[in-house]
Amino acid sequence: MPELRKDPIIGRWVIVSIERAKRPSDFKAARPEEEESGQCPFCEGHEKQTPTEIFAIRQADSKKDKPGWDVRVVPSISPKFTIHGGLDRRGIGMYDIMNPIGAHEIIIESPQHLSDISQLPKEKIELIIKVSAERLIDLEKDPRFKYGLLFKNHGLKAGGSKATKHIRSQIIVTPVTPTRVKEELRGSLFYYRYKERCIFCDIIRQELDTETRVVMDTKHIIALAPFASRFPFEIWILPKKHCSDFMNIKKDEINDLAVVLKTVIGKLSKALNNPPYNYMLHTAPFRRDERAGYWTTIKDDYHWHIELTPRITQVAGFEWGSGFYINPTPPEDAAKYLRETEL
Amino acid sequence: MSQLRKDPITGRWILVNITNPKRPEDFDLRPQAKKGGTCPFCAGNEKMTPPEVEAIRNPDTGRDTGGWLVRVVPNKFPALKIEGDLDQRGIGIYDMSNGIGAHEVIIETPDHSKDLGDLTEDEMRNVIFKYRSRILDLEKDVRFRYMLIFKNHGLQAGASLEHTHTQLVALPIIPKRVIEELKGAANYFNYKERCVFCDIIANEKQEKLRVVSENSNFIAFCPFVSRFPYETWILPKTHARHFRSIDDNRVGEMASILKDTLARIKKTLNDPPYNFIIHTSPVRDGMNEGFHWHLEIMPKLTHVAGFEWGSGFYINPTSPEAAAKYLREVK
Repeated sequence: MPELRKDPIIGRWVIVSIERAKRPSDFKAARPEEEESGQCPFCEGHEKQTPTEIFAIRQADSKKDKPGWDVRVVPSISPKFTIHGGLDRRGIGMYDIMNPIGAHEIIIESPQHLSDISQLPKEKIELIIKVSAERLIDLEKDPRFKYGLLFKNHGLKAGGSKATKHIRSQIIVTPVTPTRVKEELRGSLFYYRYKERCIFCDIIRQELDTETRVVMDTKHIIALAPFASRFPFEIWILPKKHCSDFMNIKKDEINDLAVVLKTVIGKLSKALNNPPYNYMLHTAPFRRDERAGYWTTIKDDYHWHIELTPRITQVAGFEWGSGFYINPTPPEDAAKYLRETEL
Repeated sequence: MSQLRKDPITGRWILVNITNPKRPEDFDLRPQAKKGGTCPFCAGNEKMTPPEVEAIRNPDTGRDTGGWLVRVVPNKFPALKIEGDLDQRGIGIYDMSNGIGAHEVIIETPDHSKDLGDLTEDEMRNVIFKYRSRILDLEKDVRFRYMLIFKNHGLQAGASLEHTHTQLVALPIIPKRVIEELKGAANYFNYKERCVFCDIIANEKQEKLRVVSENSNFIAFCPFVSRFPYETWILPKTHARHFRSIDDNRVGEMASILKDTLARIKKTLNDPPYNFIIHTSPVRDGMNEGFHWHLEIMPKLTHVAGFEWGSGFYINPTSPEAAAKYLREVK
């Protein structure tokens, strides 16, 4: 009998196949090597091919837009949002529009032409996490921006580019809080009003207790396959100590997060034969204390986390029409496979 | 230059490219060749599917044999099972229930070489009659709260069998996407005392910019807040909350506009993968004040990436105004 499971945060239902559960080998179909079609603008030595850098971690004697860096942040070559101008909110008849004011930055995660974050040593991943937090802290200062979304597209099917596989993540800053984040914020508030506890903290407690869905546990960071996973091998990574804003991440947490990212993504690549995947960081909105429409308990009721989703099934009409997902691999099985994958 | 647009129904924002829209030839489009081979949906292979639920057949033919025009069978690998109780329960902080529901396949034609848009208007009408009759039948089961009709065309749109077919899933809950539309429509109705979909139709008819085609009872247009390039919606022009209440005359008009729209999309975009879904009111829950049933066609031309997944905020490289113009002008 398939199971219907409800996401405790936003209330979304998921159908989980139990009897005909799919194993990693069912998804392991040979993936054609994705050819890169261009010269890579992100490699060390090609700094002139990107827009001028915004920030970089560099060797002491190196100069801006020159070699000698570890992590480099540049504006997107094809930005979806522009930094200049006013929002100019207005109506056209019954419709509402505004200008796409925001920022779109690329975090180049290595000077070498690597294609997966698990290929980097732990210390370099720590730098990437620090730079990501610092960019968000800087972007929050602009009062026009409401939200910063950090995400990664790995592989063509996950929206990665054809031109180059060079490892990088992106930050898009928007003048509105995105729908998906609003749903989580509202769901967490609802739970907090009822229980006076953070729902994510409660989830972590229950998962540590039952253990079946835990993929990896460290002192400060946990990786788990959520009870109502939408996708096979979906993984969430959370700080164990309550914290609403990723920007407040502590040094110890950065260290553990680097280990967890490296290990979990390494295991995923091994178990599923380098699958395309996305991950995205959900954190609390910018400067919410000064804005209408937010509440004062977000600090207590929301909990930052990273959602990591392999793209190994096709999202079809049913999912688009219903917002209701069919997951062929129970999260308990996914967590077990990943725990048992040796690197 | 791009523009941020807000969906008047759900409140979702999208980003649309208005000055430099992606044209049909800018997408990496290759026509989808059919592989053929043994197919459980072809005439003559009726024994390969579970026993048929309903069919439109020639008078002298028997159940589960050849001689049918449209055939409905249970899905051989159903997402939900029809037998049993929901048994809603909690496990610690989590809630769950058994996966009870119905999952049927409407085989639109016995001819493997055809797509839905290649059918004649009469054949298309028969398919829509089956959508209606299956919903009316499944609604009798009090465990079901929602009927979702959807179609996956092409591998990238999730079709596992290439023989053209539509699916119907009867659900024990109202899906989230539908609740968002129901709530949005109810809010609008509370404020304006009008249906938001009727207002959109009036607006589109006046502006004409996004209209693809029209007949006396239906309109096809690219929504102002299209999430996907070349997304097209079909709506009945008179207010109607339930698809299942469509009368025979309107079934004919719906067949004609659906055939025309699918043909335009196929021609313009070189037979792209697409999904369509019908959003109608829940079976018996009410909460549909100001709701208006409709069909959403979503060509799958781009990959949904981390930004969309993480934000629910879509970036559409082709403005609906440009898309509608291409679809209108295609011969």
